[in-house]
Amino acid sequence: MHVSALLVGLVLFLLLGFLWFGAWPFLRQDGIASLFASQWYPFEGLFGMAPALLGSLWVVLLALFLALPLALAGAVFNLELMPSRWQGFLRLGMQVLAGIPSVVYGLMGLWLLLPLLESQLELLTGRSLLAAGLLLALMILPTLMVMSEEALHGVRAEQKESAINLGLDWNQRLWRVLLPQAWPGIRSACLLALGRALGETVAVMLVVGSMDRLPQPWYNLLQPAQTLTSRIGREIGEAGMGSLHWSALMASGLLLAMLALLLASLAQLMGREKR
Amino acid sequence: MGRWLLLLLSLVCLPLQAVERIRVVGSTTVLPIMAEAAKVFRQRHPQVKLTVAGGGSGVGVASVVRGMAEIGMVSRSLTARERKRLGERVELVPIARDAVAVAVSKEVYLSGVRRLTLKQVAAIYRGEIDNWKALGGTDKPILVVDKEASRGTRHVFARVVLGHPHARAPGAKILSGSNNEEKAILAGSDKAIGMLSHAWLDDAVRGIAVVVDGQVVEPSLENIANGRYPIGRDLSLLVPVDRTRWVQRLMDFLLSPEGQAIVQRSGYVPVM
Repeated sequence: MHVSALLVGLVLFLLLGFLWFGAWPFLRQDGIASLFASQWYPFEGLFGMAPALLGSLWVVLLALFLALPLALAGAVFNLELMPSRWQGFLRLGMQVLAGIPSVVYGLMGLWLLLPLLESQLELLTGRSLLAAGLLLALMILPTLMVMSEEALHGVRAEQKESAINLGLDWNQRLWRVLLPQAWPGIRSACLLALGRALGETVAVMLVVGSMDRLPQPWYNLLQPAQTLTSRIGREIGEAGMGSLHWSALMASGLLLAMLALLLASLAQLMGREKR
Repeated sequence: MGRWLLLLLSLVCLPLQAVERIRVVGSTTVLPIMAEAAKVFRQRHPQVKLTVAGGGSGVGVASVVRGMAEIGMVSRSLTARERKRLGERVELVPIARDAVAVAVSKEVYLSGVRRLTLKQVAAIYRGEIDNWKALGGTDKPILVVDKEASRGTRHVFARVVLGHPHARAPGAKILSGSNNEEKAILAGSDKAIGMLSHAWLDDAVRGIAVVVDGQVVEPSLENIANGRYPIGRDLSLLVPVDRTRWVQRLMDFLLSPEGQAIVQRSGYVPVM
């Protein structure tokens, strides 16, 4: 137990250390100011992180916002309302969906989602933060649902029964007993899903447009934009090892790791207050 | 103990010595030629393990620098920085000639946009013209497709049209990578303009003529060969000066009449 905890800590430390080491030449030169700079032109020595950072945050939040209600509704429906012999089917379906490689989702987005967005919203191109968010929502939905279902499943039968005995109706049972009791599990499901969404590269790269510009205005999700992962995916091949460009891409990676850590600790804090 | 270790080590190394490995990485424009040539080469020399992968010219150069490839495929000239990094250890050997066509979606072509001056193309990429109406087409916004900075096609196009290989393109709306991705975007839209190797043009993606000194020049094999088409380039291999026998053989094959026939079949102009 202690050893594995130590091991996890060590891996995390090594990972962050490696990223920090790679990003150091860039951090020393541009530092924290680059977070707010909006121009990314590697060949002119301009490395502004703001567009990709904002893009990453937008797609992740959008994906979670879209997927969480659906996943919860699906989980509650399957567990509480579906006849028990049918329950396996939905779960199996979700598990299959969770196993599909992300590039397949990306190609689906390319052939189905983009033309649909383009024609329905009358856009110049469907490639946008919205497209990436929708695709990511679909990708994290199965994980979210399966894990939420497990969390709901873990709510003790006595509690459900006493809720019924108290005469609470379905709505009250759902909002006062089921969901609050399952919340820690749902929270970790969200975290895992966020992690996947934040790190997803190929599928996002195919549909986000990869334009390193701030959305105009900042909440415009219908324009092509950039995420940290799609930028790294597009540029790491060419960046010379040890060049400033490479270092700046490592800094993007470091930023992603820190973001994930931040989200994780936030969720931990939230959980502690609840208890 | 030491002797056993040595024996073990040589046993492990044996299969590595027996098979010669050639890794070819880089430009997706050169890729069709190389893939075709590799098929023939592998058949004739099964003892050589030849792998071919895309990624873009910049990736090709970087792979050679990092020692992750024996041969780089490059569809542009080297930048000053790359030349400095590579020094005298490598050379660039042209195997074909190609043109970077100004390519548009089929609907744009059919709506009447058949030729543009380089100034007009530059204005589109700078964001000064954003509707096909201004260029003789229908009233539609222009979907301007830019390419990753690492791509050879982007270098050549930007150097000729915008004046610098790494010039900004503020008019660009989206970014693409390989020739295939670019083609898919152009073919999937009805209002897009992009840059595409001549060999990728077809019914769904049309190359338009460029006006040079009042003369209309089509992006045709003939105009690439005689140098009249302004956005032309050499497709080359980046190879070490002290290359292995098999790398030399592969190059010889590409420059032989048989190899140059593959170049022609792939839609490019032979150099020999």
